[in-house]
Amino acid sequence: MHTMAVIQRSVWALLLWPSLLTVSMPLDCKEEQGSLSGCTSISQEKLLDRVIHHAELIYRVSEESCSLFEEMFLPFPLQLQSSQAGYACITKALPMPSSKSEIQQISDKWLLHSVLMLVQSWIEPLVYLQTTMDRYDHAPDMLLNKTKWVSDKLISLEQGVVVLIKKMLDEGMLATTYSEQGLFQSDVQPEMLESVMRDYTLLSCFKKDAHKMETFLKLLKCRQTDKYNCP
Amino acid sequence: MADSSPSANLLLLLLISSLYWLFTPGSAFLIDRDHNTSSAPLEPHFTECISREQETFRCWWSPGSYHNLSSPGALRVFYLKKDSPTSEWKECPEYIHSNRECFFDVNHTSVWIPYCMQLRGENVTYFNEDDCFTVENIVRPDPPVSLSWTLLNISPSGLSYDVMVNWEPPPSADVDAGWMRIEYEIQYRERNTTNWEALEMQPHTQQTIYGLHIGKDYEVHIRCRMVAFTKFGEFSDSIFIEVTEIPTKESTIPFTLVLVLGIVGILILIMLIVITQQHRLMMVLLPPVPAPKIKGIDSELLKKGKLDELNFILTGGGMGGLPTYAPDFYQDEPWVEFIEVDGEDGDSGEREDNRASDTQRLLGLPHPVSHHMNMGCSNAISFPDDDSGRASCYNPDLPEQDTLMLMATLLPGQPEEEEASFDVEERAPASSERSLVQAQTGGPQTWVNTDFYAQVSNVMPSGGVVLSPGQQLRIQESTSATEEETQKGKEDEDSKETEEQKQKELQFQLLVVDPEGSGYTTESNVRQISTPPSSGEGYQTIHPQPVETKPAATMEDNQSPYILPDSPQSQFFSPVADYTVVQELDSHHSLLLNPPPNQSPPPCLPQHPLKAPMPVGYITPDLLGNLSP
Repeated sequence: MHTMAVIQRSVWALLLWPSLLTVSMPLDCKEEQGSLSGCTSISQEKLLDRVIHHAELIYRVSEESCSLFEEMFLPFPLQLQSSQAGYACITKALPMPSSKSEIQQISDKWLLHSVLMLVQSWIEPLVYLQTTMDRYDHAPDMLLNKTKWVSDKLISLEQGVVVLIKKMLDEGMLATTYSEQGLFQSDVQPEMLESVMRDYTLLSCFKKDAHKMETFLKLLKCRQTDKYNCP
Repeated sequence: MADSSPSANLLLLLLISSLYWLFTPGSAFLIDRDHNTSSAPLEPHFTECISREQETFRCWWSPGSYHNLSSPGALRVFYLKKDSPTSEWKECPEYIHSNRECFFDVNHTSVWIPYCMQLRGENVTYFNEDDCFTVENIVRPDPPVSLSWTLLNISPSGLSYDVMVNWEPPPSADVDAGWMRIEYEIQYRERNTTNWEALEMQPHTQQTIYGLHIGKDYEVHIRCRMVAFTKFGEFSDSIFIEVTEIPTKESTIPFTLVLVLGIVGILILIMLIVITQQHRLMMVLLPPVPAPKIKGIDSELLKKGKLDELNFILTGGGMGGLPTYAPDFYQDEPWVEFIEVDGEDGDSGEREDNRASDTQRLLGLPHPVSHHMNMGCSNAISFPDDDSGRASCYNPDLPEQDTLMLMATLLPGQPEEEEASFDVEERAPASSERSLVQAQTGGPQTWVNTDFYAQVSNVMPSGGVVLSPGQQLRIQESTSATEEETQKGKEDEDSKETEEQKQKELQFQLLVVDPEGSGYTTESNVRQISTPPSSGEGYQTIHPQPVETKPAATMEDNQSPYILPDSPQSQFFSPVADYTVVQELDSHHSLLLNPPPNQSPPPCLPQHPLKAPMPVGYITPDLLGNLSP
C-alpha cells in the first residue's frame, strides 16, 4: 500500500517534471525563437537600438523643455546662468568619462554602468520637478507634458538598460539607488525665483546628462558593430 | 516662515547682484550680442570659443579698447575646468598669438564639464572673465562637403523641375561612430537675389528641392549643427543649379505616330488585297471539287431531271461532237480499243423503238434515231463542252476524230444514281447520230461475267463493228483493219458507214466507258446487233449483257431486232478471249488474229469486279486474270 503510493507519486512527478522546469525558469526569456512562454524575446542589437532611440528622444524633449522653461520663466539676464548651473549639477560627483579619449579607454561594461548610474540618479529629481512645476501659476501645459513624458521615459530607459546589462554582461539586476535625494527633501518652500532657478538648473543639468547618456549609448553601439574604428 | 524669508531675500539679492555682474560686456559672446557701444571702454574679452568636432576647441580674445594690451603676451588666458570642487585656474595650453587664439587640444578638452575662461593682464586680475560654457554647447560643425545635384524630373508644362542635392558630412565630425549627431539645413536662392530660401532641417545627407524654374540660375549652400543644439556651423561652398530648355521628346512622338500609321496602312493594304483577290484566294485556298461530269456535257444536265437535254446532246443534237478526250488519254495503251458507234438510222420505228426501249432500258442510251438530226457535223455530235470550250462542230481527221467512242474500261462499283436514273429514264432522245453509246448497267450485276475489252471481230457493212469475245476470230475487212489500227483511238464513223455490216455470230462484249473520263466507267456486256445490211448505218446495239434474269429478260424480249448469235446464257460459259494479237494481214486486208489463248472460264468473274479496285479506264489482262478465281 505504501509502496503503491510512493510509486504513484513518483509517476506523477515524472509526468509533471517538465512543468516544474518551466515554473522554475526565470521570467525573462532567453533568446529562444518560438518559445511558448508568455514573454517575448528580443535580440541584443534590437534592444540596444531601442535604448538609443529612447535616449535620443529623451534628450530632444529635455532640450525643448529647457528652452521652453527659459523663455517662460527666466528673465533674459538669467539665461546666462546655464553655464553656471553646471557647477551645481547633482551628478557632478559621479565618476564619468568626459572626453572621447577617456571613453576610448573604458570598457563596455563601465560604459553601460555609467549610463545606468545616470539614469537612476535622475529618476527621482524628475519626479520632484513635476511637483514643483505644478506650483507655478502659469506653467504651460506643453512644458508640463514634456517633463512628465521625460520622467516616464526615463523609467523605461532604466529598465531597458538593466536588461541590456543582463544580456551583454550577464550580470544581475541592480537596484535603483536613491541615495542622492538629500537635495530635495527640504521642507523649505523656496521663493519663486529660487525655485525657478533651481528648476532651470535641474533642467539644464538633466539636458546635459541626457546628451551624455545618448552619446555613451551610441558609442557602445559603435563598439558592438565595428570594434576597430570606434572610440 | 519668518526665518526663511530673510535668507531667501539675501539669496535673491545675491543672485541679482551676480546677474548684474554677469551682465557685462565681457560675456557678450555667450549671448551673441553686439557690444559696439562706446559708452564704456571695452575691456579685453573673449570674442568666441568654438569647438568644431566636440573634441577640441579654441577661444579668441580681443584686447578691446585697451590697445596697449594687444601685443602678444600682454594678456594671458586662464581657464577653469569645473570637474571637481578643488579645480584651479590653469593657463591656456596652447597659444596662437597671431590669431589671439587659445587652442585646447584633445587632452585638455572635456565634454559635459563647464569651462570658464579668464583674461589676465600683467598684474591685473580684474579682467576676470567668467565666460563659462560646456563644450557641447559651443560646437559649430564644419560645413558639409561634396555637394552635388541631379535632375529628378521636369513638370509636364516644361516650366519647373525638381532637383536632388547630395552631400557628405563634414570629415571632422565623427558622425559614423555616433559621437556627434548632425542635422543639415539647405538654403537656395536665385542668383543675384538676396533672400535665401531655407528648407527644413533634417539629418540625412540628401534633400530634394522642388519647384525650381527652368532657365533660372540657382545657388545652393548647406550648413549643419548638432541635433537639438543651437549653434550652426559655417555655410558650405555654393553650388549652382541651372536647367535650360530641354529638347522635348517630340522626336519620340512622331516616331510612334509613324509606326502606328504604318501598321494601319499595311493592314488596310492586306484587306484590299484580300477583298480584290477574293476569288483567286478562294481558288487557292479552297479548290473546287470537281463535280462529276461528262466532258462536253454541261454538268447541269447531269442533275436530276435533265436527262432529255443530256440525251439530246449525247446523241448529237447541238453543235458538235464530243472532244476526243479518251483517245488522247489512251494513246499509249494499245490494248485498249476504242469503239465508235455511229448513231444508227432509224431502221424501223419498231426497231428503233425497241432499240430505244432496249437501250433506254438497259443501257440508257439516247434514242437511236440518228438521221433526224444530221446536223452539219456528219461525223460526230459535238455539243457544248464547258470544259474544252469547243462548242462548235468540227470535222477532225478521220483517225483522230473526236466523235463518240466507246472506251473499254472497267470500273466496278460505280453505278451512280444519276446515271442509272437517266439511263432508265431516257426514252426519246432526239439524237441523229449517236456517237456515244452509253451502256449503262442496270446494276452491278451486269458487270458480272463480262470481259473488259472486246475485240473487233467483224465489221458490218453498215459500218458497225462486230465485237467478239475472243473465241472466234473473224477476219475483218479493211475497215476492221483500220479499226484495229486505230486501237489506240477510236473508229470513225466514216469507216463505219462504208463498211458492210457482217454477220456477227459471236456475241461480243462491248464495254462502254464514259469518254468524259471523270471517274466512272460502265462496263457492260453488249450484244452487238448485227444489223442487216440494209441498215447501212452504223449501229449501236449496246445493251448490257444480262447476267441476272432481269436484264436477260429484257433482252430476250427484244430479240427480234437483235441478232443473237447465241443464247445469252450460253455465252457466259464460253471462254472469252479478251483480245488477240494480229498475226498478219491476209490478201483481203483482213487481219489474221491469233487464236485466243485458252482462258479459264471466269465463273466467278461476276463477283470480282465489284470487289477489286480497278484502275480507271481499263484493266490489264493480268488483272483480269486476277479476277477470275
